[in-house]
Amino acid sequence: MSLDPPRRRAATPRSTGARSRGAVRSDRPAGRTAGTPAQGGARQQSARPQGQWRSWLRHHRAMCLDSLRRLIRQPVGSLLTMLAIAIALVLPSALWLSLDSAKLVDAELDASATLTAYLDKGVDEAQAQRILEAIEAQSNIASTRLITAAEGMAEFQQALGLDDALARLETNPLPASVVISPQSPSPEAMTALSERLTAMPGIAEVRLDLAWIERLRQLAEVGRRVTLALGVLFGLGVLLVVGNTIRLAVENRRKEIEVVTLIGATHAFVRRPFLYSGAWYGLGGGLLAWALLTLGSDWLSAPVASLAASYGAHYQLPALGLAGSTILLSCSTLLGWLGAWIAVSRHLAGIKPR
Amino acid sequence: MIAFEHVGKRYGGRFEALSNIDFRVSRGEMVFLTGHSGAGKSSLLRLIMRLERPSRGRVLVAGHDIDKLHSSQLPFYRRQIGVVFQDHQLLFDRSIYHNVALPLEIRGLPPRDTARRVRAALDKVGLLHREKALPIELSGGEQQRVGIARAVVNKPALLLADEPTGNLDPQLSADIMGLFEDFHRIGTTVMIASHDLALIARLRHRTLRLSEGRLVGDEEAA
Repeated sequence: MSLDPPRRRAATPRSTGARSRGAVRSDRPAGRTAGTPAQGGARQQSARPQGQWRSWLRHHRAMCLDSLRRLIRQPVGSLLTMLAIAIALVLPSALWLSLDSAKLVDAELDASATLTAYLDKGVDEAQAQRILEAIEAQSNIASTRLITAAEGMAEFQQALGLDDALARLETNPLPASVVISPQSPSPEAMTALSERLTAMPGIAEVRLDLAWIERLRQLAEVGRRVTLALGVLFGLGVLLVVGNTIRLAVENRRKEIEVVTLIGATHAFVRRPFLYSGAWYGLGGGLLAWALLTLGSDWLSAPVASLAASYGAHYQLPALGLAGSTILLSCSTLLGWLGAWIAVSRHLAGIKPR
Repeated sequence: MIAFEHVGKRYGGRFEALSNIDFRVSRGEMVFLTGHSGAGKSSLLRLIMRLERPSRGRVLVAGHDIDKLHSSQLPFYRRQIGVVFQDHQLLFDRSIYHNVALPLEIRGLPPRDTARRVRAALDKVGLLHREKALPIELSGGEQQRVGIARAVVNKPALLLADEPTGNLDPQLSADIMGLFEDFHRIGTTVMIASHDLALIARLRHRTLRLSEGRLVGDEEAA
């Protein structure tokens, strides 16, 4: 609805203001939307979409800067809030990063998935060679390596360092074996291959190294789910931290909210500065979390590298990278914004102008 | 402009703040609302601003039943009403200029237009030279004038005032009332709640008299 603005008229005798019952009749039912420019009200209600768009942008810019200024004006409080957010973000991010690198290890494992076929005890070298050729004729074979009984013994001695004890044995108890890398390392293909090999003459037993790979995969899946659950929990934690901070800010500016509501501010107008505050808290927390992660991974990288080296493995601590950093910062900003939104919406309903 | 049709307002189910109020105010009229404190003056103004809703009857403003306004329309409705509060309702963390500019910022007026209108409003109430001051540095009468400047900066069609001279001495009160008469003269509908009977009597405008929530008198300007 729209009330007509005062008509600019010369001072007229006051009697015109006397009660004429019909005066209200002149108000035609204006459109329901308040922005409808009424005749004569056009100047008052500059409802041109472009102007509105510009003023909307202007208010966004003003509130964005204003909320940042308010944050800076209380550096300790703001920093504490951001630190709380950062700590809540660091744990799931670190877990996620470790899992991400575990995935790389997993891929390497796939490449190293092998079967070992142990040949019958009495098989001599020539027979072993024939069996090897028969194995190579099978499908899904990438490469094979024959380990004769003597080679097997040598490896065994080397690995265990039991030269003397083993040397005392009269006969070599180890059978010859063939190590096979399959083309497709999927569990199904490996199992099928192993069944075909077991059926071949001259082969006593086929060992599949699947079980522990499966176990590792399942462990990784458990880790992934734990990380997800922790991520959700700590994300809720961020919402609570921001929500509580914004709740206090709303309480502090209660009077201002009441006044602007009295003189016609929309909910969006009132909400805006708080949403920007929340987003700033989130962004600040995200940046702190990023710094903590970077520092932490620097601090850990040397011992982790030497630990990995002692196992003969090459393992590098994962870094966030550009994509990871972007995801971290946008998630934290979004969480801050969302926390503020929830807090403000909950509290605006409770603020009624007196 | 304003029409009350058998309006009643109860708080908490028992206390009847207003009962069977029935009157009309024409566009451009200037009306006083008097009565002892607790007679229902503030409740009546709050009904017009739609801070409260009537328990009975209808409140029409510019021909519209404002009870039917959707809550999303309320801000736009309130922007068209200028309100002067007894306790000024100024924001003490910003300057006089920014206090007066607030309704225009809410409407999203460009800064240049805002500045022009704020200065015009401040000039009107005689406080242009204090635009950079904080409200706390001003006297009660000056604060009230800032409140008036803020109420009229939007050029509202309807100006409401709740005890605008509440704590002011007679001379300042007369000055403030003079300002309201100026706005009335340019066509604004003005409604002022006040218990300063001596001042009201001197100003000779229509007067609605409330007592214990009932309309007991409706006197034309003498």
